[in-house]
Amino acid sequence: MSLTLFYYLAITAIYILMSWSIYIPYRVGQLHFMTVANMAVSAYFAALMAINFAWPFWLVLIAGTLLGALIGFLVSNAIGDAPCFAVVIVGFTFIYLTKTIIENVEAFGGPLGIFSIPKVLSASADNRTLLLIVAYALVLITGFLITRFDHSRLGRAASAIFIDRDLAVSFGVDVKKMGMFLQTWASAVGGMAGVMYSFIMRSVSPNHFTFHLIGICMTMLFVGGYTTMWGALLAAPILWGFPLILPEALQSWNIVIYGVLLIVVLVIKPEGIITRPMVKKIESLLSGKRKKV
Amino acid sequence: MAQNDSILKINNLSVAYGHVQALNDISLDVKRGEIVVLVGANGAGKTSIMETVLGANVPVSGDIEFKGMHIGGVPVDKNVRNGMFLVPEGRGVFSSMTVMDNLLLGAHHNLKNSTEKLELVFESFPVLGERRTQVAGTLSGGERQMLAIARALMSSPEMIMVDEPSIGLAPIIVNDIFEILVNLNKEGYSILLSEQNVYKALKIAHRGYVLETGKITKSGTAEELLNDEAVREAYLGA
Amino acid sequence: MEILIAQIFNGLSIGSIYVLLVTGFNLLLLVAMIIHFSFPVVVVFSMYISWVVMTLTGSVTLGVVGGIASAIIVNMITAPMFQHIMKDRGSVDINATMVISMGMGMVITDILSHTFNQGFPIAFPDALTGNDQGALISVGLVSISRGQVLTLVIGVLFVAFLFWLLYKTRAGRAFRAIAEDPNGAKLVGIPLLKTGFQSYALTGILGGVTAVLMAVLLGSASAGLGDQLGHKVLAVSIIAGLGNLTGGLIIGLLLGILEAIIQGYLAGSWSNAIAFIVMLVVILAKPKGVFGSKL
Ligand SMILES: Nc1ncnc2c1ncn2[C@@H]1O[C@H](COP(=O)(O)OP(=O)(O)OP(=O)(O)O)[C@@H](O)[C@H]1O
Ligand SMILES: [Mg+2]
Repeated sequence: MSLTLFYYLAITAIYILMSWSIYIPYRVGQLHFMTVANMAVSAYFAALMAINFAWPFWLVLIAGTLLGALIGFLVSNAIGDAPCFAVVIVGFTFIYLTKTIIENVEAFGGPLGIFSIPKVLSASADNRTLLLIVAYALVLITGFLITRFDHSRLGRAASAIFIDRDLAVSFGVDVKKMGMFLQTWASAVGGMAGVMYSFIMRSVSPNHFTFHLIGICMTMLFVGGYTTMWGALLAAPILWGFPLILPEALQSWNIVIYGVLLIVVLVIKPEGIITRPMVKKIESLLSGKRKKV
Repeated sequence: MAQNDSILKINNLSVAYGHVQALNDISLDVKRGEIVVLVGANGAGKTSIMETVLGANVPVSGDIEFKGMHIGGVPVDKNVRNGMFLVPEGRGVFSSMTVMDNLLLGAHHNLKNSTEKLELVFESFPVLGERRTQVAGTLSGGERQMLAIARALMSSPEMIMVDEPSIGLAPIIVNDIFEILVNLNKEGYSILLSEQNVYKALKIAHRGYVLETGKITKSGTAEELLNDEAVREAYLGA
Repeated sequence: MEILIAQIFNGLSIGSIYVLLVTGFNLLLLVAMIIHFSFPVVVVFSMYISWVVMTLTGSVTLGVVGGIASAIIVNMITAPMFQHIMKDRGSVDINATMVISMGMGMVITDILSHTFNQGFPIAFPDALTGNDQGALISVGLVSISRGQVLTLVIGVLFVAFLFWLLYKTRAGRAFRAIAEDPNGAKLVGIPLLKTGFQSYALTGILGGVTAVLMAVLLGSASAGLGDQLGHKVLAVSIIAGLGNLTGGLIIGLLLGILEAIIQGYLAGSWSNAIAFIVMLVVILAKPKGVFGSKL
């Protein structure tokens, strides 16, 4: 497998996970950008543990995910039921603080970051194959969990909160608990993505975890469609892929392209390309076929 | 002659909110100098009629004439300039703004002689004069209703639509409000009133229309309606 | 003590910039009902335009005019886009306006970092900043620059003008009515769209003036400045209570003073970080704002 293809596939998986990490709390209308800070923290955590303490990959992956969940949980105690804009600014602030700390603390490698994170398997090709398998296994597991959630009673309660928070409260839905649960889950996914990112890139630097990353994930989620998990899944490979085949001169404009796309889709088709009725239709078509057979 | 005297004339008006058909083929008119009352239960369509006349809703079909002009689809601010004003259900005063601000909002489109108009209003409603710098949120329900009516006067209207003014008010205060409406009518304002307090409303009105789920089921002079068996049974509890 | 006084003065002038930005943000929120997160990005964009005009024509006056004009123009041409999605206010989630605004911020910031001055920070000429003329007042360790005085004075005057406009004029009354109850405002005959447009125009002027003041006070700008200001403005308005104009005034000035004092003792990015930590703590403790939201 060519290096280009490896990076394309691997980073696509990261973007899918990160877009979902934003999708999950947006089920109750919260834009929880803190997952990007979780990604950065866990990525650095992974790099330091693997280099300095020779922790094995699996242990780092589990610990990094839990670290994300822990931070997410702690913060969610304060903002589990906060209005969207408060959640947004908390996320931004965490990203900003994380960036300031890793840029200014010697042990984190300063603005240059940390290099030569060890491979999981010594043979490069095997290492890459393993990472890809793990990355997509994580996408599969997360996707499966999201589907289960969306089709459960909890998922319906989340939709109720999204549509009318006060009404949901009057029906006895615990808005705060739901927000805390989703935020914690999202932060865990962010942490997981961070660990994977560390091992895939084999280096981390503060420049990787910026507002650009938020912009890209937001574009994937909202262009793909924020009302179902399938939107981001479809949009991530396309949106991440197409700038790569553009002429060099245009490639550096990808953020402008994403921004314009984001605006155009929100203005013309606010719910994004893939919508819930669309998914329902496909589901019923598929199940209909199965019945006939 | 009588036809030309109509200040408001609604012909075969239908209004829908999405799939909800709120008004179905409504025809009614208000003559100059009249108090006309719309009576009907909750959800009958009283507010819908008034808001559609005002231009806040776009009718599905039908025709609305105000002072002989066709005004279907004309925006609210134009209609207000033309001389109609709505005193909304639940008063609709801005509770964080002062009494003065609320009154001036009524004159938003015609601030020219607002000082004289304010003086007149304070003369008729001395309470409001005393409270002019107070925020409207601190007024009592009756005072708020007065403020809402006074605000309408500030726009120098020819026709005032008053949507359920008695709602949530003590009977004595309701009498006061109705007296105010009668006096305004004597001064020459045409009034379209909606009420669930059917007896009192018919007592002060010239004519009335009975509305049931978006349709007019009965109409006539106030006297006729007061003496109508069906009306008495349904709305007057007798 | 002298240093503290100088820092406080410094803080007040930066703070008045925050106040202007927060007020613009709040006006758009209250009247046009959008969360224009990237409003400060538009302001920084105007700084760049102002710089371009000054560089091309060599005229400070034209630069000032260009900067103010560009803020108004950007605000007015983006207005229909926001108005379009706010058409059905009831069904549209106000968060969507925030996401659109963020998209706008992405585009503008990236254009700034690609095209102008090859992406390097821009510096404004001394003719504008007055830096070549030295301090206006300097007593012992305290030195106050022309830029600081100018920003503070114009900032105060402009905010006073805004409050006058809001509380004493016909347009201001309409703005406040819409802010309190859009539907009620419509029923008394206030045209929502038209008044919304007026608020875009007003905040455009406000943004343009702020851009010029920032150029005078800071003397330079970089593409990332807008994002940073965007975060601060959102944080300030949340802490104050979204849409709370008086609260925004107080918190904006406090933030300026806090930053200036920290800067007196700590260098570089840490001082910014501390300001953010303080804001974070307040938001975590009071996600609905100190003075209460007016939304
Ligand atoms: N904005 C709206 N969207 C959907 N349906 C509406 C809307 N406004 C009114 N309706 C419906 O239109 C019908 C008539 O309502 P309207 O408010 O005109 O009645 P009303 O006679 O004023 O009742 P009330 O005495 O309760 O004020 C009702 O069935 C109501 O549910
Ligand atoms: Mg009604």
